Amino acid sequence: MNHKTTILNGTAATAAAAMMAIAPTLVAASPLGSDPIRLVIPFGPGGGSDITARVLSATAPEFCGPRIDVVSMSGAAGLEAVNFVRNAEPNGHTLLVTDYGPIVTSGFVDDVDWSHDDWQPVMNFTEWLPTVYTRNDHEIQTIEDWVAAAEAEPGTITFGHASPLGLVHLPLILFEMETGLENVHVPTSGGGETRSLIMGGHIDLGMTLPPSIASEVASGELTALGVFSEERSPVLPDTPTFREAGYDVVLPAWLMIFATSDVPAETVEFLQDCFMEALASPTAVAMSDRVNAGIEPMTAAQSTELYRGTVESIGNILRDIGEID
Amino acid sequence: MFMESFVDALYLAFSPEVILYVAIGVLMGVTLGAIPGLSGDMAIAILLPIVFFLEPAAALGLLTGIYKGGMFGGSISAISFGVPGTPGSAATAIDGYQAKLKGYPNKALNTALYSSVIGDTTSDFVLIFLALPLAIVALTFGPVEFFALYAFSLLLISALTKGKVAKGVAMAALGILLAMIGRDPIGGSLRLTFGIPALSGGLALIPVLVGIFAVSELIIQLGRAWMARAQKIADETRKRAESLLGDYDPAKDKLSFAEFRATWRATSIGTTMGTLIGALPGAGSSLAAFISYGLAQRFSRNRDEFGKGSLEGVAAAEAGNSATSGSTLIPLFAFGIPGSATAALFGAAFILMGMTPGPRLIYDHTEVIYALFLILIYANLINLVFSHFLLPLYSKIAMIQSRILLPIVCVLAILGTFAAGNSVIDVWVLLFAGLLGVVLRLYSFPLAPLILGFIVAPGAERALRQSLLIGRGEWTHLFSSPIAIGLYATAAIMIITFTFVLRERK
Repeated sequence: MNHKTTILNGTAATAAAAMMAIAPTLVAASPLGSDPIRLVIPFGPGGGSDITARVLSATAPEFCGPRIDVVSMSGAAGLEAVNFVRNAEPNGHTLLVTDYGPIVTSGFVDDVDWSHDDWQPVMNFTEWLPTVYTRNDHEIQTIEDWVAAAEAEPGTITFGHASPLGLVHLPLILFEMETGLENVHVPTSGGGETRSLIMGGHIDLGMTLPPSIASEVASGELTALGVFSEERSPVLPDTPTFREAGYDVVLPAWLMIFATSDVPAETVEFLQDCFMEALASPTAVAMSDRVNAGIEPMTAAQSTELYRGTVESIGNILRDIGEID
Repeated sequence: MFMESFVDALYLAFSPEVILYVAIGVLMGVTLGAIPGLSGDMAIAILLPIVFFLEPAAALGLLTGIYKGGMFGGSISAISFGVPGTPGSAATAIDGYQAKLKGYPNKALNTALYSSVIGDTTSDFVLIFLALPLAIVALTFGPVEFFALYAFSLLLISALTKGKVAKGVAMAALGILLAMIGRDPIGGSLRLTFGIPALSGGLALIPVLVGIFAVSELIIQLGRAWMARAQKIADETRKRAESLLGDYDPAKDKLSFAEFRATWRATSIGTTMGTLIGALPGAGSSLAAFISYGLAQRFSRNRDEFGKGSLEGVAAAEAGNSATSGSTLIPLFAFGIPGSATAALFGAAFILMGMTPGPRLIYDHTEVIYALFLILIYANLINLVFSHFLLPLYSKIAMIQSRILLPIVCVLAILGTFAAGNSVIDVWVLLFAGLLGVVLRLYSFPLAPLILGFIVAPGAERALRQSLLIGRGEWTHLFSSPIAIGLYATAAIMIITFTFVLRERK
């Protein structure tokens, strides 16, 4: 038991972190001034995006120069955050950290005064792989069971997902378009509610992102049926992809940092470099491991390719189901 | 094995650093909770990254302190200014503010403190000893059962205000309507936004709450010079408040043991309901407070005092609110399911400290979790002691002239509202809710049912529509569960019984 010493270390570390935030070290040749950088997230505090953004805000000032603040703006279903970044001065000090919902999907279905080309990715934190799961005593335990049951009695299997047209709903729509199967879609308030409905036996299947069910899948309480991605998830190594089962349905989600497209290229490059450097630092790696964030940074160029691909596939899905023309 | 871990946990929980963090947390929580718009949850969210650098017991101590302090802090402004500092204390404002107007803020604050601590401590013991069985019961609550619970609470509260049942029901309906602004939770389409993009996320709870209660009060006070009707109402309020300014006698405003004992039944009802409702994922502390308040009124011997400064009303609401604090962690500990915003934040804190919430938590991190249990209990004592010494000060603040106090409260409310969501729209919502509150007050509509309707509607709508989806459109599916049938039957029996009892008394 060495708790006493670690408490003191902890206090010291807090103080150090606080000092780091208050007195930023100045980096030479920075196109940024000393004003703080704001990472605006279109969600409430405490969620996965917030925690991931905070890994960056805690480690990047050393490499980028100015202090970095995470600002949470969940108003107007996230559009307030998007508009705030859109209307900010294009100097690289106000950036948007988001998954594809508020920027790709909203860009299609909502009445906004910007287009997808008005944004440029700075870097990508991670790819999230939507996963279908159920309780361990449910009769459906594999992708094949699901397909067989849905073919035997169409429209009887209840499927919980978070908000409609969100990250863990669109893959289901895509899968149904591909296979012609029908399920009863039950929107929930989020991953927590989906899980309690599944565990309480109120619905059959649900979709979520791997980190939130990894430990229950490992202990056998929940069964992960399949993942909508090219490769298996590193935290669910035994769960097959839908592609392995013969269904070419891939729709990973991501968490990207965006600047508006009128931010100068050298500023974006500088931000990309110092963010990537920061995320490679031992502190950032340790934090990322602890929070299960699975941070695997991608450059601006790679992220742009991913972003364009997502815009195209989401556009196709939304056109197919008649949400947009 | 058990004893060994327990002794380790004792060392952890009672190390001076941890006690200090708990104390700092309680002080922060009480202060933030007392400012309308700010809440303990917000402070926990802001402090989350610091958790990463702290030793687990110290971090959990800090968060627990903030949480518990914030729970009680909300009742300070509810009683002192009639403005609930946190959503959970909305029900406390009904009788607490009336008690203050009658000149005994100290009694009301003390009642709130004691019932809050009793409710909280009981709930913590339930978490420690009954987490698993209760969690299994909680999981049997699906959409069908939740809709029955929401319907039960709406019926109970709307029909509360004696002689104003119609107005109560109307206000609940208005609250539900306001909650429907924004995106349809099932279909995803926009509704009632009138083409204003800013409304697509719906109205946030905090600005509506603070606007209806606080801003409207301020506007009424300001407007009394111009408006004849406002004059009349404000005069009554002012007369009651001002008559006390000169002769407010702290010596007369002491809570006696006999007075507190008289609230015992209300405190027990609040503690029971709060603990049970807290364990249900997604139900929330404001719902628990309102249901406890409603039931306490139904079962009180002095039912007529409710709404006029009843200490029982304060006790039921506060016990109900605070008794959710331990049990809200039950689904998190038993299944890793965050049942409330606070539980989600605690879950995030566990994850940041490298501990995965769920049934394995207590086996994998036995000492830390036992230490957390000990902290949960003794944080209540720290809260009790601190608040006990601070309350006389708070009651004096409460008796400062309202024309000086209210502008300060309003500025704090606007700042707090803005800080909660970094949103200017929320400030506009706050001001409009204030105007709505003025109109409703002028025509003496009860405000509590509106707030309850607003709080309950999103969950109730989701539960109803999920039930219908799962039941494939059959309305009979709503009666497919014994729990739901039981809730509907209880509601029906209560309404019938009380209608007859009330008639006989008249």
